[in-house]
Amino acid sequence: MHYTFTIERGNFADAGQASSNVKRTLKQLGVDPASIKRAVVALFEAEINAVAHAYGGTIDVDIDAEKVMMVVADEGPGIPNLELAMQEGWSTASPQVREMGYGAGMGLPNIKKNTDELKIDTKVGVGTTVTMIVKLV
Amino acid sequence: MPTGEIYFKHSLRVNDYLCQGCTTCMRTCPTAAIRIRGGKAVIADNKCVDCGECMKACPHKAIYIKQDDFGLIENYRYRVCLVPTAFIGQFDTKYKTKAIYSCLLKLGFTHIYEVEHEVARMMELYNMYMEDHPEIRTFISPYCPAVTRLIQVRFPSLVDNIIHVRAPLELASRVITQKLIDEGARRESIGVFYVTPCAAKIAAVKYPVSGKPTCVTGVINMDFLYNKVMLMLHDSDRNAQPINHTLNSRDVQWSLSGGEAPHFKGAHYAVDGLQNVLNFLEKLEDETVDAPGLVEMRICDQGCVGGVLTTQDRFVARKRLEYRAQLFERLERSKLRETPPEDLTLTPQWIKDMEIAEIKPRSIYKLNDNYAEAFKMAEQMKKIEKALPGVNCSACGAPSCAALAEDIVRGDAKMDTCIFINQNSDSSRDATKRIWGDRITAKNNKKEQ
Repeated sequence: MHYTFTIERGNFADAGQASSNVKRTLKQLGVDPASIKRAVVALFEAEINAVAHAYGGTIDVDIDAEKVMMVVADEGPGIPNLELAMQEGWSTASPQVREMGYGAGMGLPNIKKNTDELKIDTKVGVGTTVTMIVKLV
Repeated sequence: MPTGEIYFKHSLRVNDYLCQGCTTCMRTCPTAAIRIRGGKAVIADNKCVDCGECMKACPHKAIYIKQDDFGLIENYRYRVCLVPTAFIGQFDTKYKTKAIYSCLLKLGFTHIYEVEHEVARMMELYNMYMEDHPEIRTFISPYCPAVTRLIQVRFPSLVDNIIHVRAPLELASRVITQKLIDEGARRESIGVFYVTPCAAKIAAVKYPVSGKPTCVTGVINMDFLYNKVMLMLHDSDRNAQPINHTLNSRDVQWSLSGGEAPHFKGAHYAVDGLQNVLNFLEKLEDETVDAPGLVEMRICDQGCVGGVLTTQDRFVARKRLEYRAQLFERLERSKLRETPPEDLTLTPQWIKDMEIAEIKPRSIYKLNDNYAEAFKMAEQMKKIEKALPGVNCSACGAPSCAALAEDIVRGDAKMDTCIFINQNSDSSRDATKRIWGDRITAKNNKKEQ
């Protein structure tokens, strides 16, 4: 099953639709609540990252018998130092983003914690593609 | 109707004679448990959480709550009326609490016990549970039984956030029963009758989530008792017998939304009203809100004074309880009334009785126990949803197009139950198009959301 969603820069208020849809489908499939939570949390974090840092992007979700694969691709500044970004507490979020309760530097570490496979392709000045896999069985 | 094992029964019933099949209840139900079949509303046992929203919404008074026969109380020598303060909130403050209670005694009860006597003990049980589970960040109060059931069916990942303690009325019935036994009564001669403001509390007594036996003998609907008392209050108000009732000012307001806050030291959130509860649980499940501490949730707006079996406007009833609490406070401060001592005695037996070993998740979304089959069904459902008009007209007997799609994949409905699809003349198709345009194309051209 395939789902596509668009990401709008700075629209924190409407973020979360993709994860809600994924959650609904995974519930229908009878996936265990813990795995659903991991997928939903990871996807939401990745979406918020794109909303906060990028100029826009897309979310593609594929669910099959074994796994849910979620690809969040954005056009944005890219991540100059991925190693630093993976550290808890490291953040380049603007004060405005922090005021909204985001930007605590937990995004990428939290995604890593909640996924079985994580791949980040990033190019400074071009954008970032985050590919996340959560195994269902 | 959806097939599968029936988990438990409910207190909400449809009166087929009064039901017009108008779909109002069906559209209100938070778990899509209602369908129209044969022109009448039918409630699915597996999905219903006894929230009572359907009954509140019904314009024909066709949904009712089955109560125990009032005559049942005559079978007991000790007849306890277990009453929540929401009942007192039904009455104008010109009536003294003791006047209301003496009417209950005249009706045949021998003892009156307020559920709110158990506030301190309940809070102690909550605290014990919370201390035992430091790994849980957000605790959900088990106060409203409809919330617990809603979580079981719609938010199964949150069942472990619920404090696993049974309803206050269970503790209250045990405490008063023990008190009477201590005074010399025989166990079999004691009948405890709870006055319920809602359907969920009846279900909690009759079909408890804990699966453990109840100590409540019977349940009486609040509106029924209100009518009886009102008739008597009018002619015998002045002859009220003094009653030694000992609730303190704080506990009087426990059943109101926010009522648990003063009893809890940590961070506390009060969420009331069905839509607010649904939104909050959704966010809690997605971890898009962080709410460390205790969340108290009431399905009914304002708390129990908004229950479907109450008779008075909930805002007025709330004010009345607040007024009574203020009055008690003034009297306590000026020493005209003693502040009742807090009784924190909890026997090992009570602690054991009040425990819930497990709150089982029982998702209503799961399409099939077999993953591969569920996958196929989910795919099919997505396709069907695309082909349906998305008007949610309910003419098919399901609350929404999504619900119809689910019914179809479950084999409970057919595609041609949709009146948009099943049109056999050009003129009817034209008429539909004039109102709705080309639904299917318009809907699916929109970017997938």
